[in-house]
Order: sequence, then C-alpha cells, then structure tokens
Amino acid sequence: MQTSRDNYVFEMIRSELSWALGDEYVQSGDADKLGHSIDYYWVPELWHDRGEKLPGPDFIVHPGTAQEVSEVLKIANKHKIPVTPWGGGSGSQGGALPIYGGIALDTKRMDKIIEIDPLSMSVTVETGINTQHLEWEIEKAGYSTMHFPASIACATLGGFIAHRGTGVLSTKYGKIEDMIMSMEIVTPTGEIINTLPVPRHASGPDLAQLFLGSEGTLGVVTKATMKIHPIPECRKFHAFLFKTMHEAMAAGAKIMTSRLHPCVIRLYDEAETAKLIKRVLGIDKQGAYLVFGFDGPEGIVDLEMKYACAICSEQNPEDLGTEMGQTWWDHRYKFFYPPYMFHMPQAFGTLDTVATFANIENVYWAMKKTVTENFPQATFIGHFSHWYEWGCMLYARFIIDEPPKDSREAIALYNKIWDMAIRAAIKEGGVINEHHGVGLKLGRIMKDLYGPAFKVLSEIKETLDPNNIMNPGKMGFKGV
Amino acid sequence: MNIENYKDVISACRFCFMCRHLATIGNVSFKESDTPRGRALIADKVLKDKQHLKNQDYIDCFYRAELSAASRKHCVSSLKLTFLVRAMREDIVDAGLEPEKVKKIAEALRQSGNPFGATEAGIKEKGTKGKPALLYYIDAYTLYKEPKIAESFMAILEKAGLEFSVLKEIESSGKAFSCMGYRKEAAAAAAKTLSAIRKTGCTTLVTSCPASFDAFKNDYQKQGAALDGIEILHSSQFIAELFKNKKLKAAGKTVKISYIDSDYLKNYNSITEAPRKALEAAGFELVEFGSNTEESYAMGEGSVVYDQVNPELLPKLKGRLLEKSNPGQEIVSASPYTKYAFNSTPGSTLKMRSLEEAIAGRIS
Repeated sequence: MQTSRDNYVFEMIRSELSWALGDEYVQSGDADKLGHSIDYYWVPELWHDRGEKLPGPDFIVHPGTAQEVSEVLKIANKHKIPVTPWGGGSGSQGGALPIYGGIALDTKRMDKIIEIDPLSMSVTVETGINTQHLEWEIEKAGYSTMHFPASIACATLGGFIAHRGTGVLSTKYGKIEDMIMSMEIVTPTGEIINTLPVPRHASGPDLAQLFLGSEGTLGVVTKATMKIHPIPECRKFHAFLFKTMHEAMAAGAKIMTSRLHPCVIRLYDEAETAKLIKRVLGIDKQGAYLVFGFDGPEGIVDLEMKYACAICSEQNPEDLGTEMGQTWWDHRYKFFYPPYMFHMPQAFGTLDTVATFANIENVYWAMKKTVTENFPQATFIGHFSHWYEWGCMLYARFIIDEPPKDSREAIALYNKIWDMAIRAAIKEGGVINEHHGVGLKLGRIMKDLYGPAFKVLSEIKETLDPNNIMNPGKMGFKGV
Repeated sequence: MNIENYKDVISACRFCFMCRHLATIGNVSFKESDTPRGRALIADKVLKDKQHLKNQDYIDCFYRAELSAASRKHCVSSLKLTFLVRAMREDIVDAGLEPEKVKKIAEALRQSGNPFGATEAGIKEKGTKGKPALLYYIDAYTLYKEPKIAESFMAILEKAGLEFSVLKEIESSGKAFSCMGYRKEAAAAAAKTLSAIRKTGCTTLVTSCPASFDAFKNDYQKQGAALDGIEILHSSQFIAELFKNKKLKAAGKTVKISYIDSDYLKNYNSITEAPRKALEAAGFELVEFGSNTEESYAMGEGSVVYDQVNPELLPKLKGRLLEKSNPGQEIVSASPYTKYAFNSTPGSTLKMRSLEEAIAGRIS
C-alpha cells in the first residue's frame, strides 16, 4: 500500500494513529519522510544523490510504550498496512527502509533506562535508546555495557538487537545476542510477550534467540535486559606489522586457539594497511597490521599480553609496540567519519563474512579473486574484526571510484558484485553475514545460504505475522 | 544561494550518522529531520532543486534547529553544519519565505532592539562616568529579563575596585538577526554597535552573554566591523582573572553545584575552563552535570532567540535537562539566555542561577 494523501482512507488511518499516540507523534511531513527513506545502504544514497524519487513511509509514528506499539500494530493489521521499525536508521542493509510505504515505526521515543541491577550486573532499558547515551549513563553508574560499535553514536539498542550487531570488544564480551538476557516483544498481531528472564535454561528452545536478528519481521522488541560489566582496571594494546596477511592470520588464530582472552584483535590485509591505516592512523608501512588488546586486572592483562606477543613473535613481524596499538584504539571510530569513510560518487559495500579458521583465508581469497578478476574497476580491501575460539569475521570491502552514470546500471553492477562475491564465499564455507544483518540487500541470498531450512524460517514468519505487515520484503521473506 | 558555500558540509553530512547522539532537538523531538543528517539531506534536495526551498515543512525544520554546534565540536572534520543552517535561513529570508513568527521577532528587533518588544529595562544604573578602559556590555536577555545578572557582575567589579562604563543593548547587536537569517540587518546592527563601543573609548569589553561575546569575537570581523585593539572577554573569563590576580576572595563554606556549559562558550569558542575556574575560586565544588561533556543542555542558546521562535520545544529541552540533573543539585549557567529559558519554562521548582549571581554571593 502506498497510501495517497488524497485518499479518504489516509485521513481515517491518520486519525486512528493519532487517537492511539497523540497528534504530536504521528507525522507525515516531507522532512521526516525524507529522513526515513534513506538509511546507510548504498542504493538509497545513490538514488538520492542522483535526484531520484525514493520510496518512503506514509506515516512516521513515535510510540512511547509497548502498549502504544501494540495499538499501532493492531491498526496496521486492520488496514493491512506495512510497518517498518526504525531505530537510528544507520543500518547498511536497507533493513529499516519502508519500501512499501505504510508506517515507519520510529522507536527512539522509547529511550528510558528502567533499572540498573548492580547485584546481577544488568540493566533493563527501553530499546529506542541511543547506545552512546546508554553507555554514558551506565558509565556514570560505574559500569560499562562493553558494547562499542562504530555506530555507537548513531544506532539504538533495538537496532543492534534487530540485526545481531556487534562492537569492537566482541571477542571478549560477545555480540549483542550474547549480551542480551531477556526481552519484551510486541508480536505482529499486537500481543506483548516476554522471553524468559535468564539467557541460559533448559525450558525448551530459546525464544529470545528467535527474535534476536529478526530485523523487525517478527515483531518489535520494546525492552531488553542487558549484561553490564565493571570498568576494567586497565586496557592495553599492542600492534605488529607482519610481512603477509597469512602470517598475521596464523598469529591471530593461535592467540584464540591458545584460549587467551583478548578483548579485541584486528588484522588488516596489506591493501587496507596501505590505504586506511596510513590515512587514518598515519602509520605508513608495507605489510599486514595486526592490533590486539586485553583488559581486566593489570596483572592478568600483562601476563596475557606477554603470551600473545610471544605468539606473534614466532612469525618474526615488526614490533610496532603499545603506542601504535593505543593509537588504533583512540581513533577506532575515525575510520567512519567524513572524509575517511567512502562516499558518493563512489560505490562501496562491506562483504561481511564469518568462517572457521580452516576456511577464513580461503573465503578471503575467493572473494578477492571474484571481485578483482570480474570487476577490474573495483578495489578490494579487507580486515578481520571479530574473533572467536573457532574462527573470525572478514570485513571485506569493494570500492569503485567511478560507478556508471546511469543509476540502474550502477545498481546492477553493485548487485552483481554482491551476488558473485557472496556466492564465492558461501562455496568456501563462509556465512553471510556476521553482524550487519540481511535486510533488503541480501534477502535474495537467504535461500542459498539456508537451503531447505529457509522454509522453516518462512513458516515461522507466516505464523506470527499472518497479514505480513511486519517489515515485508526483508530477510528474503515475501513482499507486499 | 548561500547554501552553495557549504556544499562540502552537505555532501559529507547528508549520509553521515556519527554525531546524531548530540542532536539537541532530535534527542527530544525524536524526528529524523531534527538531526544533522536530516537537515543536510533537506539542504541537498534544495541544492538540487531550488523549488524545494518553498516547502514549508523544510522551512520549519530549519527554524527548529538550535545551532548548539555540539555536533560540529564532536565531528573529527569539524564540519560547519551550524553555518549551513544559518545559510539556509538566509536563503529562506532572501526569498521572503520565513515563518510569520520569525518575521514578527525580526520586526520587534528592528523596532525595539530586542526580541520581546520591551521598552523599559529594570536594571539599576551603575558604572563610572568618563571613559574608563573597561566596558560592560549588557545584552537584551540580561537587560529585560535577567537584570540581576548585570547587577551581580557590576557588584563584583565594584568589589574588585574597578572603574567601568556600561553599554546596553538598546539596539540589537545583530546576533539574533544573523541567527534568524537576516544577514543585511545583522551587518547594519554590527556597524552601529561597533560605533557605540568605539565611542566609549574602552580597551576591554566584557559581556555576560556568550552569544554577544561570540558576535564581537567572531562575527563582527566577517561583517566588516572588527573590534581591533579591544580585548573581548566573557564575564566568566574576566572573573577568573580577578580571582587569579587576587582582586577577589571567596568567603563561606564549600558548596556543591553543577555547571552547564554554554554553547557559544564551549562549542563556538572552546571556553570550558574559565567558568569552572571562576566558580571553583569562589568556593564551589563542581559536580559534573549529566553523564557526558558533549551534549548541549543550553536550552537552544545557539539560536539566540530560540525561546521566542520555538516556545513549544522549551518544555522538552527542560525535561531533558531535568532528566540528566543530579537530584537536589543546584545548577549554574554562564548564559543569561539559558537561565531565562530554563526558569521561565514550567516543569519544576528547581531554579537555575547565573554564574555572576552565584559568585557575587560568595566574595568578601
């Protein structure tokens, strides 16, 4: 439904929404429609840049409670109007774009911290809160969420829950699905439910994990209880420059398989070391830059650091010391500000992939080969961001400085790179993706990724959302 | 169009989310259009097609902007989004499209020199006759709404044994005009104010109003009215120096307070230490306000007459400030506007004091 403003029904629906939320919290003005028609996905940015008309919502609503969310969803079901939840709007996959019009359900008004529980070390909070605001408040209380994504200042907690987001310190503190203990959810038909109060139990399948990463297709998460942590006594970093990415990967993998507990490891391939590490951090070196850090009681940190440095030294790298590691930490978000971030007219995408240590380098080379051999106009760079006991995440990117002038042609090229690179990664055991989500961008790949299991996901969606109002056309689910 | 001078800002900010946590109005209205990205997207549309300048929704959005410059201060590239907003307002005014409420405020400024249309100031005359080197400039908010601020500052000067003269903002200094998009009126007002300042023969100019301070320090030169040869200070800087030079002494027990940064002092002029030093020297123990030092709690000070343009948003801004305040903690501001906007907005019994009032009560 693209509800026309000239349609009688438009005013009827607006009246119903206004009755439920108040006039102030139901908008249909051009300024907000524009803001809600572009997220961090390259395609709407391109369309806007080229002056093309973007699909946007008919209404933007700002519910203040789960009950109000429920009211909105009941109205939407009655009129069979699409509802697209919107948090900070900083997702890169088009997941929050209201592609079929209808209602953009902006969650930012639900931004209250309800309780900090120092005994259980948890915070219960409304999910529309900006994550930087949340971290500031938790720090003021003497703790930390330890959730430090590059988008900390842009995104809401609900946004991270929606697409299984992650932060810089995920290697020790986990991704959002590890941080969340329980949630309040408004289902597509308007029921308000709660998952079990603790994240580990033997009371059947984990309902919380079903909604984590559902990208607003299965309902709206309105409240969450999240782990918090003490502020560590210290956090230290160390950097090395390896001759090759392979040697650096061997060192990084060994740190993890030795069961040391770094809070972060980041490895930049030779191309990204030459391009971004030089530009952003001013470290002008040839090779593969590896940085890692440990935090906690100083004695433990120093000991783990000693072991990790010894592991790295086995590859005979250049020791860049603690200062060049600390520099990376101090400037970790700088990569994402203008002019350091890629921008129009460039075409760019993050081929976020996760795989085991046995497969990850093959995934890297398969993607790189695919991109560089088939698309000579593209540059391929990558780094490995989030590390596990069994593997890590590849944050590969392609950049085209001068994409085709024609928008359709540019998008077709862009999609083709994704299609080919992702399928090459899947063939090598890669999973798309680790923390950016699926959204609109990668929906068409979901069947390839899941195989017959995708039917199970589709049937869950159909059962919970019989009128298909919740974020239709995303995650590979059917559109309107 | 004036916004063409800020193509770099538009290009960078339209797809960037990195400062949205500091969107002062966005944090209380929750609207995407009240974030730096939202405004840059609109500016980009207007840049692509001037017809969009006529869109009333876009115009309203640009007059809702509070110009706190918190985002610019945060940005690693210091992108001048506040200047883009001002340029857009200039384009709106040039096209005669500004909202009626803005036209009325501009007319009040032309007729009375202040946004309230007030004609009588309730301030007690002080100052030395003749031409002392020190001039105290009293802005319209202090003059007509918060006279105790000026009285307190003059009491401090007297306590320090200083001679001074006073210049009142009987005619607009131009800052309110420039923030609303009236470029020509702003330049004319700057020239007149410059002439009035020159006539006093001062070599040091002090004001309690951070917006006036910023106008004298930064705007006037661009408007062809440079105050060459005159040292320009905010009252907090001047008081901090008086304590440093032992011309003032604190009396009484240490009292805990929270200080709220002024947008014009912190974000436009990087002045954060002087007000704190002045308060500490006067015997206050400062408890940092809120949970961070980046967010603006100045009630729209950056737009100078924000309370007049967007009175409906003040309760929301005050609500945010109260939400972040420490229970029972006294709050002090170095901005007459902020004090007035906070205290005149219903919503709590908590009253804000000015830095001058707080210090005047604690010196011997």
